Amino acid sequence: MPLPPQLAELTTAVAAGKRVDTVRLTQELLAVGQSPTTIVEQGLVPGMAIVGEQFKRNEIFVPEMLIAARAMKEALKLLEPLLAAAGIKPKYTVVIGTVQGDLHDIGKNLISMMWRGAGFAVVDLGTNVSPERYVAAAREHNAHIVGLSALLTTTMPAMKDTVRQLKEAGLANTKIMIGGAPITQAFADSIGADGYAADAGTAVELANKLVGAAA
Amino acid sequence: MTSREKVQRSLAHQSGPVAVDFGSTGLTGMHVSCVASLREHYGLPIHPVKVCEPYQMLGEIEDDLARILGSDCVPANGRGTMFGFPNEGWHEWRAPWGQIVLVPAGFDPREEPSGDVYLYPEGDKTVPASGHMPAGGYFFDAIVRQEPIDEDRLRPADNCEEFTLLGPADVAHWRREIDRHRGETRAVVSGIGGTGFGDIALVPAAFLKHPKGIRDVSEWYVSLIERPDYVREIFEFQCDIAVRNLATFAEIAGDTVDVLMICGTDFGTQNSQFCSPATFDRLYAPYYRRINDWIHQHTRWKTFKHSCGAVRPLIDRFIDVGFDILNPVQCSATGMEPAALKADFGGRVVFWGGGVDTQRTLPFGTPAEVRAEVTGRLRIFSPGGGFVFNTIHNIQARTPVANIVAMIDAIAAFNRAGA
Repeated sequence: MPLPPQLAELTTAVAAGKRVDTVRLTQELLAVGQSPTTIVEQGLVPGMAIVGEQFKRNEIFVPEMLIAARAMKEALKLLEPLLAAAGIKPKYTVVIGTVQGDLHDIGKNLISMMWRGAGFAVVDLGTNVSPERYVAAAREHNAHIVGLSALLTTTMPAMKDTVRQLKEAGLANTKIMIGGAPITQAFADSIGADGYAADAGTAVELANKLVGAAA
Repeated sequence: MTSREKVQRSLAHQSGPVAVDFGSTGLTGMHVSCVASLREHYGLPIHPVKVCEPYQMLGEIEDDLARILGSDCVPANGRGTMFGFPNEGWHEWRAPWGQIVLVPAGFDPREEPSGDVYLYPEGDKTVPASGHMPAGGYFFDAIVRQEPIDEDRLRPADNCEEFTLLGPADVAHWRREIDRHRGETRAVVSGIGGTGFGDIALVPAAFLKHPKGIRDVSEWYVSLIERPDYVREIFEFQCDIAVRNLATFAEIAGDTVDVLMICGTDFGTQNSQFCSPATFDRLYAPYYRRINDWIHQHTRWKTFKHSCGAVRPLIDRFIDVGFDILNPVQCSATGMEPAALKADFGGRVVFWGGGVDTQRTLPFGTPAEVRAEVTGRLRIFSPGGGFVFNTIHNIQARTPVANIVAMIDAIAAFNRAGA
């Protein structure tokens, strides 16, 4: 069956953050019998990939990214119950949170949205997350990736401690990614994290690479 | 040459000894624990340090320490705090990290067995808390208290509750505060609040008991694109009040004040900006221009703009709307290489900051690395004036005192060599 033109339109609509159009096109695609999986993978995911690219190139900024993510979320509200009913689950799961002692979540939320937009199941633990909660959630959800965020220099030690405890928990298939304003690749290397991403777009590329899903 | 003359020369882009600021604003100070460590290090009388800014838990840098640090600036502070209670009626409080500090009367926290600490707007425990210091933390963050948003009922006036004319108590306070600084030999830095637009730290309104309108951080950023007229109406109202307050303040302060802190809105992230240049032009520029124009037409004050992050694409715009001073000059952010900044903008804006990285070098480097970075920055930024030395934003808790001392020594050595 040839792909309906609304799929490409959906990609454009979600990338531009047009919430009403995104919902309408999703409904139209469902009405013509398009599978929810195709709508996600060939409509929404490419749209959010455009958002990530534009963000990396400084063509769009935090507000535009938030608006695109909201549009995507509205579409997923329609699609997720259908996917769940069909027993279709995302292939990869990520657990994300801001580390203990740190209440900042703008960066964490942006990355969470971008991972959702890339087709990952995202378990968002919120802010001020203890190492024990990360370990428990990673184990409970069989996380492929655990993402740690920190804005403060004073909470970077908590990041180090969390990485240590995740390693000690022996979660063999779980990769650890870190990010946040004061974080560098050198710091990631020094505490044994598997990856560092400087922005939300890069975080998607790196997550795909770490789980072996990179194109 | 007095400290004030040093600062004034630099603000006029004239060569001379490097002017220094520690503690003249809530963006150029240090955590209360660092102030106590420095007092101990330099053998100054030991007593509980006043928390002069309770949100970030900044410590008061008293004159004896300011002299040792070589600070050329002094604050003329407003009466209020981020939590809406006045900075008066001091009492002792044991901070979670064990330090005894002095806090104002309204600072009446709820301390949980978990170690979490909560503060209340105007110190009123009958309303929901507005500030949270998590266990293991060193300062407060605002608690977002967003009521459900009904687009049809959103009124810009709801976001304007905090913008009011200076009342008799404020005027009386400012008269006392300015009188205290008459004949001051250091540069006087002040700020009256309400002159910055859309500062995300102020949007949740930790000082209000029942904030209305848009108070959620993400919702505010979304509003810049989806509700521009709403934001514009807030700024319009705020700007009218601000100009009237500036006139009142100018009548009181006159030439006693040298620098006015205008706005702390962060336009930069570590690698990018929070909004496009076009959004800046449309939404912010007209109001900044009006504030700066009023000040330059009626006073001799220099205007101070703070913005963290990678703001290079916006610096020309900051200059164009009339800001004289840029802080904190976050050289670690993308595009903020110091030499290029100095070459491209140094003749047109004063860099107030940029002295040393508080994300990496100062907290985590060695004293030798701190000395090298500070000396390097002094060599880049100081020629031809247009520079006031300050760390890149407040010095954070847990910064080793040896590193702060290395920084102070490096500045002193640089100025001695120059003299």
